[in-house]
Amino acid sequence: MTGTTYTRRGILGMTGLVLSAAGLSACTGVSDDDSGSGSSGGSNKLRVFTYEDNATIGLLKEQVAKFDQQNGTTTTVDSLPGSGAAVYPDKLRTELLGGAGPDIWRIWGGQIGAPYAKAKQAADLAPYYAKYSWDSKINQNAIAGMTFDGVKSGLPFFVAGVGVWYNKAAFAKAGVSVPTSYAELEEANDKLVAAGVTPCGVAGKYGWDIMRLFEYLLEQSAGPELHDKLLSGAESWDRPEVVTAFANFKKWQDKKWLPDGALGLDPADVEPMYVQGKTAYTITGQWTEAVAIQTANKPSAEFGTFQLPTGHTPLRHSGFVEGYMINAKSGNKDKAAALLDHLVQPDTQKALGNTGSTVAGAEPDKAKLPLSYQWTEIAKQSPFYTIQDQAFPKQQSDQYFSVQSDLLQGKLAPADAAKRMQDIVSAWAKTK
Amino acid sequence: MATATASLAVRKKKKYGGLTPWVFALPGLAVYIAFLVYPSLSSLFFSLTDWDGLSAGYHVVGLENYRAMAEDPVVTRAALNNLIWTVVTITVPMVLGLTLAVLLNGKARGKPLLRMLFYTPGVLPLVSIASIWGWLYNPDYGAVNAALRAIGLDGLTQPWLGQNSTALAAVMVPAIWLRTGFPMLLYLAALQAIPREQYEAATADGATRSQRFWHITMPNLRPAHYIVLALSLIDSFKVFDLIYATTYGGPGTATQVMGTWMYFNVFQYYHAGYGTAIAVVITLVAVAAGIPYVLSQTKERDS
Repeated sequence: MTGTTYTRRGILGMTGLVLSAAGLSACTGVSDDDSGSGSSGGSNKLRVFTYEDNATIGLLKEQVAKFDQQNGTTTTVDSLPGSGAAVYPDKLRTELLGGAGPDIWRIWGGQIGAPYAKAKQAADLAPYYAKYSWDSKINQNAIAGMTFDGVKSGLPFFVAGVGVWYNKAAFAKAGVSVPTSYAELEEANDKLVAAGVTPCGVAGKYGWDIMRLFEYLLEQSAGPELHDKLLSGAESWDRPEVVTAFANFKKWQDKKWLPDGALGLDPADVEPMYVQGKTAYTITGQWTEAVAIQTANKPSAEFGTFQLPTGHTPLRHSGFVEGYMINAKSGNKDKAAALLDHLVQPDTQKALGNTGSTVAGAEPDKAKLPLSYQWTEIAKQSPFYTIQDQAFPKQQSDQYFSVQSDLLQGKLAPADAAKRMQDIVSAWAKTK
Repeated sequence: MATATASLAVRKKKKYGGLTPWVFALPGLAVYIAFLVYPSLSSLFFSLTDWDGLSAGYHVVGLENYRAMAEDPVVTRAALNNLIWTVVTITVPMVLGLTLAVLLNGKARGKPLLRMLFYTPGVLPLVSIASIWGWLYNPDYGAVNAALRAIGLDGLTQPWLGQNSTALAAVMVPAIWLRTGFPMLLYLAALQAIPREQYEAATADGATRSQRFWHITMPNLRPAHYIVLALSLIDSFKVFDLIYATTYGGPGTATQVMGTWMYFNVFQYYHAGYGTAIAVVITLVAVAAGIPYVLSQTKERDS
């Protein structure tokens, strides 16, 4: 027995030194190496981060598994369902800063996706657009929604059209039909209230849901050209058209066309109420057919959808895009791009049940999703304006939601709300 | 001379134990440095920058973020909300917890069941509590307004979470509900440790119930008061999740507190430098508020 004898103190001391060294080396573990430091390194592993709902996550996993089988990859799909644009980007950002971000992530376009491109966390996909000819396969307007400062940082696969989704029984009970003008919409609201049904189910927690009503009112009072200029800060908000929109917004609440206490309610609770008949309609996108109507085991025939009437030409609706970005630090960019190409194939898009695909030939199945299909037809004739929480950065959106909130609580007059909005937008425009 | 120096070294070693204690302390110290000191110093540094929280680059802006805080109206609102929150959610649960503990310390029937009932809210996830109370407060379908209507108080029904005037108070109610059980348990344990002889002697001397409470119970509960107060204070400064999940800081910014405003800036507005400055201020205030407690504990130990 010639081995070294270890004392208890010696072992404890050595352990202490090793742990200290490990701890201190962790403190200085910031790497400047941008290559291959994503979650998957150079292996065959990929990770996708998304916010698919429980109703659709299984379909995505099936299609990813199919890709894995054909390409010898192993892809993990993580989802944060129902979190919305208010929460999901935080989680994504935290993962990216932690150094183990996903190889691919789903994200909204406009100002929600922009920070990832600006910070160069998202890869420039131009080489892959060329390699897979995405430019000729994907809707050009949608690509523009994920192009930031001329860099194609995302691959859009979903384009949403936001409009009215209504319960036919509630409309019949009140004796109203689909309105073709703003005046008719107001009349319909009065009749619905008289029939004991809350007309419009939108909610104010987070701000973005009730915003869909205000942006419509602004499109209606200002018209397409002025609305676009207001969103970009090219025209002042302190003007009669905006005051009218704010006055109408307040009127919707005062005349009880919105749920009582709408400002404090959660959209997740309020939006599906039209399916239950507790409200007559909501303002939302085509995903509601799969997520709210069919999940409640109701036939689509009991519901209808239409564009909110503005009285302007062209008749526009609110819309936004969603797509995928590839981690600039991913060691597997080529495989990630191949997976994206697989996901935007028309057959895959159909299998995913995408109700608003950006890919030609992947329209929703008319038999299974008749109302979503209707929106595909609407989108062919009617352009969309950028939904306001994608037109403004998050901070300005929240300030804008604050104005909405103060107006509805009577703390601000419509004219003051218009002035406040001008202050917010002009301050932001100066930083652009 | 050499002998004197050697003897001083030996004396020092005897007094401080030489290197050996440090070797034993090293693992814990390393963890402490890696997970507390380093992140704290790093946060302090980033509070002096304009880092957006995503990009690789940033500029050092000195005390600009701290100066901007003074001009931020939401910071003023959040600080005031924090103060209200701290006072209410410390005082009310302490008083309720003590009252329940005194009642349950007597010969109440079904004591274990009641204790469990009062403590249960404290173990529920805060997000679940936020959802439960969100439904309770629903102006049309919620139990709170339904109960008011049922007893003929229709005039008092409110959109509780949907207006500035009631939103903060409405979020404090679930906070009180979930935080009452913990002081109750601590007070119960402390009450059971008070010798019965003291009460018997006082009763024999003709002391009334109130006199026994103020002159025997309360002085004996002093250590429990300190613990409850210190833990409640820390809990109150940490307030974040309940507000975030219940009102998301709204309506508007009516229920923002420093914690949520820090989070909004760091994680949503991409103002990591500014948000970190808010975090530094929260930490400094929390440390300052904790000093009297630490001093009192030190004095008590010394005496």
